[in-house]
Amino acid sequence: MTIRRPEPSTVRWAMLVTLLFLWEFVPTTGLLPELFLPALSSTLKVLYHDWRTYFGALLVTLYEVGFAMLISCGGGILVGALIGGVMTLRNLLLPVFSSLYAVPIVILYPVFTAWFGVGSESKIAFAGIYAFFPVMLSTAAGIRTIEPHFILAARAMGATTPQLVTRVVIPASLPTVFAGLRLGGALTIIGVVVSEMLTSAAGIGYLVTLNRTILESSRVFAAILMILILAVAYFMFARALERRVVVWQAAGKQPQQARDTTATVPVTATA
Amino acid sequence: MQHVANLADRRPQPEETAIEVAGLSHVYDGPDGGVPALQDITMSVGSGRFIVVVGPSGCGKTSLLMMLAGLRAQSRGTITCYGRPIPDPDPKRVGVIFQEASLFPWLTAVENVEFPLSLRGDPKDERRRRSEAMLELVGLQGFGARYPHELSGGMKQRVSIARGLIQDPPVLLMDEPFAALDEQTRMTMGHELLRIWNATRKTVVFITHSLTEAVYLADEVLVMSARPGRIIDRIPITLPRPRTYEMMATDVFGKLRDRIWQQIRQVP
Repeated sequence: MTIRRPEPSTVRWAMLVTLLFLWEFVPTTGLLPELFLPALSSTLKVLYHDWRTYFGALLVTLYEVGFAMLISCGGGILVGALIGGVMTLRNLLLPVFSSLYAVPIVILYPVFTAWFGVGSESKIAFAGIYAFFPVMLSTAAGIRTIEPHFILAARAMGATTPQLVTRVVIPASLPTVFAGLRLGGALTIIGVVVSEMLTSAAGIGYLVTLNRTILESSRVFAAILMILILAVAYFMFARALERRVVVWQAAGKQPQQARDTTATVPVTATA
Repeated sequence: MQHVANLADRRPQPEETAIEVAGLSHVYDGPDGGVPALQDITMSVGSGRFIVVVGPSGCGKTSLLMMLAGLRAQSRGTITCYGRPIPDPDPKRVGVIFQEASLFPWLTAVENVEFPLSLRGDPKDERRRRSEAMLELVGLQGFGARYPHELSGGMKQRVSIARGLIQDPPVLLMDEPFAALDEQTRMTMGHELLRIWNATRKTVVFITHSLTEAVYLADEVLVMSARPGRIIDRIPITLPRPRTYEMMATDVFGKLRDRIWQQIRQVP
């Protein structure tokens, strides 16, 4: 009698399967030239036969992402916490950093290649700085939203200043830190891949550019697929970690939050 | 200890003064000079008394409470608590209970309650034992392992009260502790608070917006004016204890509530 609305997760999986199905079968119909969209199977075939090349490129990209994240997430969260938490620093530096954020940092990439060469160092520097500002600014904003009653209550209970920092401010800022990690990781991956596509001799972004110039479509798509998987895997890893550490946030808004979370996965995949 | 069978057997308190405030004024630094917030507050709270402060929004009630707690410094005047000034928070003398938002969401109920003890570095089983006992006093035995988000608003406020009581301070300051609760829970919690008060014999200074709550709980209601806050009336509440819900329907109760309302209403 009653038609039940399908679960959102069911719909999402159905959409993903449909997408993969279309990817496989639309190219075979001849509606689209193979050059524009190679079939999923031929893309996977490339990955299978050439896994050494792609795996090697993935390692290079991962290595660059890892070090760049030290700058963007590590530095961004640290500096953001300081700027958000210390009023004199905030008044002094926040206007400067906010205006720097508006600069399209990609224009600096040629400078970075001149300074650091075309190897991994320039990618690390570029992606690290590219993602540093958003992470830092969001952390600074997040630190300032700590419930003032937490601080007040702790002081009333006799907390010393070091105790306030370790027992209240740090745990209270964990949600902000994780938001920074998610944002920073995603932006760092973008930064690394973009810089690899511009000037480089290694990495997944390099494979995209290289194969596009020689019109090897399925090889281009194989690289794109790897980047998609990398980005989604990072996002899911960060989410899982966050749920374990920040129990009160994940569980506190369970119905709404749970829906939001999973809804963003396909969005990232298509980005 | 948590089941006080006969609420009427509360012993008369000795004639000791818990809190003494004399000539207290406060001026905030504003962009165009000072903003007067409190003006010439003088009050004396006897040990074991339940004092409720009411007043229009922004009249400085909360500021006054912060100063009584040593969380904020006043511009002029003196505050003494059991004969000594209180320039900094002193949880051994004064416990503060805020609205529910002040429980730490990353700690379980029992960890929240024992937080003040862990700041002092008390041994773990000692403080666990005491905080379990406190949870029992506020009627939350068996809920210690829950996180605040797993508790209802009323239960969270019980945890807050337990946390305020754990260092056994003679004075409890409460800043609109039940403001975030729905009406029914609020009434129950008021009743619960009187039971706990009776069992622990604390001196309580309680801030509220609710006139009914004020009359129901208080030995004496202090009415404050709009900013700059002054005490414009001191109303002894002569209703017998233990207080019952039925008293709210009586003439005396209505008259007392009306007297407060008239004073607050006069303020534009």
